[in-house]
Amino acid sequence: MNRKVNKKIIKAAKDTVFYLFLTTLIAGMLLPVYFIVSLSFLSTREAYRYPLPLVPALKTDFELTYGENGYILSVWDRTDKEYQTVLDTNEVEKMEVYIKARLGTKITQEEIRAEIARLENSGQESIFFTKPRSLLYNYDTFFKVTRDAVPALIRSIEIAALTILISLSIGGLAGYAFARYIFKGKDALRFSVLFVRMFPGVAIALPMVFILAKANLYDEPLGLSLIYSVGAIGLTIWITASIFMGIPKSLEEAAQVFGGSKLQAFMRVTLPLALPGLAASAMYTFLGAWNETVAAIILTQFKPTFSVVVYQTLLGAQGNVNLAAAGGIAMALPALIFTFFLRRYINQMWGGVTV
Amino acid sequence: MVATRSKSLRKMWGQATPYLLILPVVIYYAIFWVRPVIAVIIGSFTDASGVFTLQNFVMVFSDENFWPALNNTAIIVLFSVTIEFIGALFLALLINRKFFGSGIFLFLTLIPMALPAVATGAMWITGLTAHGWINSLLYYLGVLAEGEKIYWLGGIEPNPTKLLALVIIIDAWQVIPSMMIILLAGLQNLPKAAKEAGYVFGGNFMTVLRKITMPMLRPTIQTAVILRLISAIQIWLIIVLLLGFGRIPVLVERIVYYHEEVPGLNISYQMAAGYTIVVSTIVSLTALVYLRVSGAFKKEETA
Amino acid sequence: MATLEIINVTKRFGRKVIAADNVSLEVHDKEFLVLLGPSGCGKTTTLRMVAGLEEVTDGNILIDGVDVTDLPPRKRNISMVFQNYAIWPHMTVYENISYALKLKRMEKSEIDRIVHEVADMTKIGELLERIPAQLSGGQQQRVAVARAIAVSPKVFLMDEPLSNLDAKLRVSMRTELKAIHDSAKATTVFVTHDQSEAMSIADRIVIMRHGKITQTGTPEEVYDKGANLFVADFIGTPPTNFFDVELQRNGKGLHLVNSYFDLRLLPENEARLKGYNKDQLTLGVRPENIILVKKSKSILDTTALVVEPQGSHQVIAFRLGEKIIKIVAPALPKMEMGETIHLDFQQESLRFFDPESTLAIGD
Ligand SMILES: Nc1ncnc2c1ncn2[C@@H]1O[C@H](COP(=O)(O)OP(=O)(O)O)[C@@H](O)[C@H]1O
Ligand SMILES: [Mg+2]
Repeated sequence: MNRKVNKKIIKAAKDTVFYLFLTTLIAGMLLPVYFIVSLSFLSTREAYRYPLPLVPALKTDFELTYGENGYILSVWDRTDKEYQTVLDTNEVEKMEVYIKARLGTKITQEEIRAEIARLENSGQESIFFTKPRSLLYNYDTFFKVTRDAVPALIRSIEIAALTILISLSIGGLAGYAFARYIFKGKDALRFSVLFVRMFPGVAIALPMVFILAKANLYDEPLGLSLIYSVGAIGLTIWITASIFMGIPKSLEEAAQVFGGSKLQAFMRVTLPLALPGLAASAMYTFLGAWNETVAAIILTQFKPTFSVVVYQTLLGAQGNVNLAAAGGIAMALPALIFTFFLRRYINQMWGGVTV
Repeated sequence: MVATRSKSLRKMWGQATPYLLILPVVIYYAIFWVRPVIAVIIGSFTDASGVFTLQNFVMVFSDENFWPALNNTAIIVLFSVTIEFIGALFLALLINRKFFGSGIFLFLTLIPMALPAVATGAMWITGLTAHGWINSLLYYLGVLAEGEKIYWLGGIEPNPTKLLALVIIIDAWQVIPSMMIILLAGLQNLPKAAKEAGYVFGGNFMTVLRKITMPMLRPTIQTAVILRLISAIQIWLIIVLLLGFGRIPVLVERIVYYHEEVPGLNISYQMAAGYTIVVSTIVSLTALVYLRVSGAFKKEETA
Repeated sequence: MATLEIINVTKRFGRKVIAADNVSLEVHDKEFLVLLGPSGCGKTTTLRMVAGLEEVTDGNILIDGVDVTDLPPRKRNISMVFQNYAIWPHMTVYENISYALKLKRMEKSEIDRIVHEVADMTKIGELLERIPAQLSGGQQQRVAVARAIAVSPKVFLMDEPLSNLDAKLRVSMRTELKAIHDSAKATTVFVTHDQSEAMSIADRIVIMRHGKITQTGTPEEVYDKGANLFVADFIGTPPTNFFDVELQRNGKGLHLVNSYFDLRLLPENEARLKGYNKDQLTLGVRPENIILVKKSKSILDTTALVVEPQGSHQVIAFRLGEKIIKIVAPALPKMEMGETIHLDFQQESLRFFDPESTLAIGD
């Protein structure tokens, strides 16, 4: 009786330590991600403060007083713990623009006028008021201000879809051959994944400029997806081969015995069974094509991909870090969603083929 | 007569099936891989006017940045592959225990893999500047006093060891998940009975890991390591994003440098081609040596 | 129904492996033929060639007199029960059974009738809407059988269909399969490595070894008249006991002698060995043909090494030189380990083999 209770306590203690350990591990690993996410919600003013606020503000506190040019607008600075003057102006419109753009805070000209009226009527030297932040302001701005963002997003989706189509059809056939047949050159096929990777991707992208230009595919989504597929096909072969290996050959043979042709047997039996795995393989390809930046920089000119746009926001003169962060996070979202589904198929994808 | 003809046709068709299935891949590689590769190889052996020369390689080897680049690459590869392998194996073993919530834990550990290079670039750039979130965090934690700052990416005396260490850590952070999934799949596909037998016959966690799990996992480990090794030698993007060109020269960074940064020079194409050939030779040799030493070829001879 | 002829069929894998070596056999209409042999002898390969799943290297396969050697499986009018069942996990039991019928473009009502008929025959009527993951091993096996008989094939192929079942289920399914065969009357080729399974269900048994057929016959024939040492050893449990003996002829007749016993042959056995003029011979005696006798009548006295009571009978093992010999005796009187036993051979069922060629002599 007593021992049972003791055991329970020991187990609970062990579990607690274990989960504490896991939490610490994950917290450590994802700390950088937390900061980039947090940064994507910070106002431009705060994004350049040091030390950087740890969490995005949900509201902004203002102080309004009289100034030389009209009214002095001050905001509460979370870093310095004081109100700091940001504007001295008579123009309501100027205030509105500043509050929206620099402080990422929701406000209308009527509201500003109302606050001014309140100051005038109160007879006091200054008044205080608080407005809620528009947390998605950076995201909104990223897509609005960055001229190319939306078309680039569409283009990136198109490129990823084409890459999936090309690599899954071409690589899937080879993966099937790898899983089901013994043939000369099987090892060469297996090692081709390595060969292709041994030559630096950037170095291939450069001569590809001429090859694609000749085929009128330079600066076209199709051209880029053809290049992405070179790297993607190899892994697709491995992954689809693993998937097909996981489906017993006899299921397909049974379909042949019971009246199907080889093609029917594949379509009716193997394909439906492989579908979840193939979808996982497609998601994996998506991650590669969606995230790729370098070849996209080299091989596009007027039709950049989404990753190129984010890159330019980050390093180019036009962007702010919080905008770049918002762009990066927006870009990471679909990749994260796919990864969430992908995790269940790791075994099927990587279980079959090794060097 | 007719019977034998149809027989041989069907037979030929049957034997041809796998080759027909891999034909698209072969054609695809021929057009989109072999062709550009040959173009680069030719470029590396010719001068600007298209005449055969070995001068390009002479230029590469006498480039003042070549030896530092080789040196830096070697250090990065050595440390990052080791650290990444250990980290990935650790995580894989942990997740393979299938505790409550291991699915979510797996997803969380995969996040770095899913993030686009630009997002991670933004992440580290905003983190590592003097006003970045890393210093801010250290300040809040009380490690840094008010006004005190760590100049991660330089400061007054840039220290290559510190920068290399940073690059290695950042690379490991991003790469561990993709290595981990290969190892995890390998672990989960091992026959459970072998491990259990190990425990039944008196092994403890470490002996079972060393004597049973690891040897059985060897093909998977070889796969994970070779894929990583090949791409680790070609690391460059994160370095350029953080430090720009030339501060920590590495091999592939040189290729991009000659192509993108100094395209006007009439030797830049030759330099880039030369570097490319040197890099791929190094990668192939390393891969070959690794596969030899790790015994990946022996497996096939016996099979 | 139909006949199946396999004519001089050879199958090579690469250069070295000959899985089937010039195999010829004929399966009669409605016959239940069992292909029996140790693992790796080429049974599956032969069956798969009949099914059309494996190319024939050489030779021909005829179903009902029609050469099907070059036809794909679907045009051969056969059906098959696979060793691991190979029922499709993404289809319900009903869909599994009706798959082939749908491909034949049968009427819906007709399909429905057949599915229910075979489901009743195999006792899976209640399981039709389930998916395979919800079935036990035995139930999956029934589905595989139901699927195979639904198509009313000319030839019915089964590759070790019972080997994945537990021992008890295996024995009861064996009886059921036989009953199903009797009512469906399908020409059947059944592959197994289990000789007792083969003995209990076969009309005829074909024994294979190293890719070749070594003997064909009814269960009684292969049991009583094994054509060579291999068959005599392979069929029956405990296996036949073999003794290397010398032929000695003296005034009174023919003796089989070794250092443990001297067996004088009865005249009819002597006659069987008339044409045999070597002086060495391998004698084969089934365990039940070595009998316990009074001391005065015995030709061999020894002590029991192990006694295994089996209820209806007991198996007694003893040592003879290097060899362990096993005999099957009635349950009573019960023997003890270490007890002295007196033995004689029943002369009417002795088997003689040429030790060089291993072939049976005097049949
Ligand atoms: N696809 C194949 N490739 C090469 N050898 C094979 C293949 N299938 C079977 N074999 C070989 O052919 C022989 C007979 O195999 P099989 O017909 O499966 O035997 P059984 O079913 O009697 O156990 C074995 O030696 C086996 O290793
Ligand atoms: Mg078999």
